[in-house]
Amino acid sequence: MKRRLSWQPQLGGLLVGSLFRLYRIRLRDHRMQEVLAGSGIAVGVALVFGVLVANTSLTGSAKQAIAAVNGSAQLQLAARSTDGFSEKLATEASDLPGVEKSAYLLRVNAVIIGPHGQQSIQLVGVTPGLVRLGGSATTDLGAGAAILTGGIGLPSDVGEAIGAETDGSARLLANGDAHRVLVRAVLNNGAIGALANSRVAVALLSNAQALAEQPGRVTQVLIHTRPGAESRVRSELRRLVAGRADVEPANNELTLLDATAKPTNQSTTLFAGISVMVGCLLAFNAMLLTVPERRQLVAELHLQGYDARQLRTMLAFEAIMLGFIASAVGVVLGDIFARTLFQQVPIYLAVAFPISTHQVIHASIVLLAFGCGIFSALVASASPLLDLRRDPVDAVLHEPGEPGQSITRVTALRLGLAGCLLAIGVTIGVAADASLAVVGGIALALAAVCFVPIIFRGLTGALKPISRRWRGSMLSIAVIELDATTTRSVALAGVAALAIYGGVAIGGARADLIHGLDTNFAEYIGTTNLWVTTSGNNLTINSFAAKDTVRQIEQLPIISSVRPYQGQLLDIGTRRMWVIARAPSSSGILPAGQVLEGNPARAAARLRAGGWVAVSNAFATERKLHVGESVSLPTPAGQVRFGVAAITTNIGWPPGTIILNTTDYARDWQTSAPTALEVNLKRGVGLVAGRRAVAQVLASRGGLRVQTAPEREHQFDDNARNGLSSLADISTLLLVTAALALALALSTAIWQRRTRLAALKTQGFDRWQLWRSLLFESAILLSIGCVDGAILGIYGHALANRWLRLTTGFPAPFAVGEVGLIITLGLVAGISLAVIALPGYSAAAVPAQATFQE
Amino acid sequence: MSVIELHEVVKHYRAGEDLVRAVDGVSLTVASGEFVALYGPSGSGKTTLLLLAAGLIAPDAGVVRFDGRDVSALPAKNRALYRRRDVGFVFQSFFLMPGGTALDNAAVKLISDGWSMNDAHRAARPWLERVGLGERMGHRPAQLSMGERQRVAIARALVNEPGVLLTDEPTGNLDSARSRETLGLLRDICHERDIPALLVTHDPQATAFVDRVHTLRDGHLSAGLDADMRVVSG
Repeated sequence: MKRRLSWQPQLGGLLVGSLFRLYRIRLRDHRMQEVLAGSGIAVGVALVFGVLVANTSLTGSAKQAIAAVNGSAQLQLAARSTDGFSEKLATEASDLPGVEKSAYLLRVNAVIIGPHGQQSIQLVGVTPGLVRLGGSATTDLGAGAAILTGGIGLPSDVGEAIGAETDGSARLLANGDAHRVLVRAVLNNGAIGALANSRVAVALLSNAQALAEQPGRVTQVLIHTRPGAESRVRSELRRLVAGRADVEPANNELTLLDATAKPTNQSTTLFAGISVMVGCLLAFNAMLLTVPERRQLVAELHLQGYDARQLRTMLAFEAIMLGFIASAVGVVLGDIFARTLFQQVPIYLAVAFPISTHQVIHASIVLLAFGCGIFSALVASASPLLDLRRDPVDAVLHEPGEPGQSITRVTALRLGLAGCLLAIGVTIGVAADASLAVVGGIALALAAVCFVPIIFRGLTGALKPISRRWRGSMLSIAVIELDATTTRSVALAGVAALAIYGGVAIGGARADLIHGLDTNFAEYIGTTNLWVTTSGNNLTINSFAAKDTVRQIEQLPIISSVRPYQGQLLDIGTRRMWVIARAPSSSGILPAGQVLEGNPARAAARLRAGGWVAVSNAFATERKLHVGESVSLPTPAGQVRFGVAAITTNIGWPPGTIILNTTDYARDWQTSAPTALEVNLKRGVGLVAGRRAVAQVLASRGGLRVQTAPEREHQFDDNARNGLSSLADISTLLLVTAALALALALSTAIWQRRTRLAALKTQGFDRWQLWRSLLFESAILLSIGCVDGAILGIYGHALANRWLRLTTGFPAPFAVGEVGLIITLGLVAGISLAVIALPGYSAAAVPAQATFQE
Repeated sequence: MSVIELHEVVKHYRAGEDLVRAVDGVSLTVASGEFVALYGPSGSGKTTLLLLAAGLIAPDAGVVRFDGRDVSALPAKNRALYRRRDVGFVFQSFFLMPGGTALDNAAVKLISDGWSMNDAHRAARPWLERVGLGERMGHRPAQLSMGERQRVAIARALVNEPGVLLTDEPTGNLDSARSRETLGLLRDICHERDIPALLVTHDPQATAFVDRVHTLRDGHLSAGLDADMRVVSG
């Protein structure tokens, strides 16, 4: 027979065409198994992709939004409070030689109310001159500026949220008053780019000044200098402002956002790191389910003459094919998760920064997700190659149990030892350096998987004598079947362990943060019975003209006292600090429970006296401050020196806080306008009655609202939860994907058993007995996974807690959280058993004659 | 004394638009202690006849009786009980549980009838000894030869002391020496226990071990071995 001589591409000793052929045969023979394994890989990759997107989108979107406004501006003149500075100063800055282009802006925190709801926004007053800076969000502003005359433009996300339409009307609450405004435009991505997904509304400067009752004031001047003139202009600006405003890079907002979001980003990084590891291991375990059959195939092909190189090539090729296709599905699924789950902009950041829900997906994220899926598939499918070193070559076919399924006692012991070494290593490493907690959390996920084989062997060994004594029990059948399929059983239990580990570690750490912040807010807010603020005033930094309001409230017979409260955000270096000023007469001028250094009573007395501040720990550490020393703060009045009365936690605001009294604040921030009123009721007056009475007084203002202290505390708690929403979303995503992976894996295992179930049926077992046997098997595997995952999860939770407290500065006491643990266990086990019950019931219904259709 | 009777049983299947007459009016009686072989080409309906005898499927017409009881009319639950208590089944592919020992596999059938595994072990031991595996009870199927695995399957089929033994190509995976051993064992048990035994087979050696031979072709039963089956048989 003549051989046709033609070149065909080869790989590892096999024709590429043959590799495709072999894989096609495999797909034909094991289609369902490959689909289910691929689904498991896809779910793992979806988790990896989703958390990576969540981890990067926040600052990525801000970068786009800021660049869209700033255009070519290199410098900015920024006010040190929301009261801004005069347009006269802005004009002088713009007229400096060396300034080629400039634009004035007024930023006002407000609330917009539409037919379907309300939202906090930042109203930015602009001039057509902004267009000259060339930002992508402003290109239409020149021609379209006319459309903003007498009205405002809303970003499309806000418009949709409140039900506002172009040429409709809305109510704007600013400076404590309500104004009816015309919505001149609802601007989408095409018009203003990434800003369409933010909370930044736009109006002409004059209109914004009128709405904010800040005539002739601006808060920002963006400056584009002539070539080579930047440093000169910067010096001249500093001379001009004489320490009363900040001269900084135009994109300084990003630096401040990085610092503010850093704890959230670090928390998200920790959670994302653990989730990525869990995702990879889920993919690995899904592939592991196909290993026994691959081991048999390797032995059979080896017997037929395939050499090691060819077998390696074949296994790698199939793993890459499956990994690639499954990863592609996983990326699509992860994108859906990310769009559905990670849409919330943390309110506490939206108050202070122009960030949007616009998701930024870098190519590196896609590549990393693909890499995880393919790598996991490759590693899992490589284990059959170890059999090539065995003698005889078909030894795997003669192992106890189903061929290819065996995990020897020695292997199980070695893996258990590896798990112990990992856990010990993590303990030592984190004790030495807390920043290793991220690596530690990832290592513990690996340890969770390593412990499964030894726990499995121990439990099945213990169950055997028990099951044998139990009359009519299907437990004995279940134990025998689990023993026969050790690799598959370990893979399934491993998935359960990972699901529980991730849920407990991440969920527990998040719960600690929430609990700590709840306690913190109670102390901060509980200084008075009622709070009067502007709506949407989440950090209590929006000032309003008191007018006659204070007097009117004081005159109510049920009122004991009314005290002003003032607050602001102040940029110091890379930190956007939260300034809190309370009246000297306030009993809660300093929350004692938040004091970390200094005597609380003495510190409070000093704050009342004036000339002293309390600063938060991270800020103090950065500047090497201690109680009794002094610190210089950049106020609108210029640099002012204060004594350090105490060092506190950050009161839930990541960059840090500064606490002082209202007398010092009014002098140095050059305003007596309050940002809140603390209203105390006379003894015996109920909160609801008090709120009702004050609300009647405020009715004429429209832009002010009254809350009881518990209501305000609840709002802050919600904001804190919202601020940690990405952590909650990652935690939820991990649980959902893990439960899904577990259900898929168990369904695979049950599907693979149909023929044996039919054989048992032939011998007289009925459907219910077989179903009980399947449920027993699943319950045993879930138990192993739950115990293993829970124990290591609690340890992971403790590690994460320690690291989060150190990096975020949040108060976050560690608590095991039995309720959360039970919920996590119940959720994973419940979802899995519910899913198993159906396919298990269906599999148990396999007709006995299926035995003969093999 | 047990008897299994199939009287004018009919079983048809739909294959697309065609009606396949797998068993077409077959009558067969196997008396106590009788070892009957059923030959036939592939697709002749032998397995279907076995399924009917085991109560795994119900006939479209006709009756299957065991000890005078109409098995074919039983509801599914009662047919399962029939298989559990009265039928011993031996498969070509053994279908042993790879995770269990020979003793576990021999005993497993009794679990379905409410026995504990320990008690079932006690009941299964004599049967394993009877089939010559007294020294191999603790071995797993992977550690047994094909012939030994088949003997475990035979022990499993007998552990419930069935009234009828049904075997589907029990020597299909065995070499000729092991085949003869297995056939001899089945014959001896059939005669010792005085139970009817039906053997579905292609193995030509079986004719030397059975009491009676039938051939099933195109759903119809005839006595003896057809000429072409004799050629196939050797």
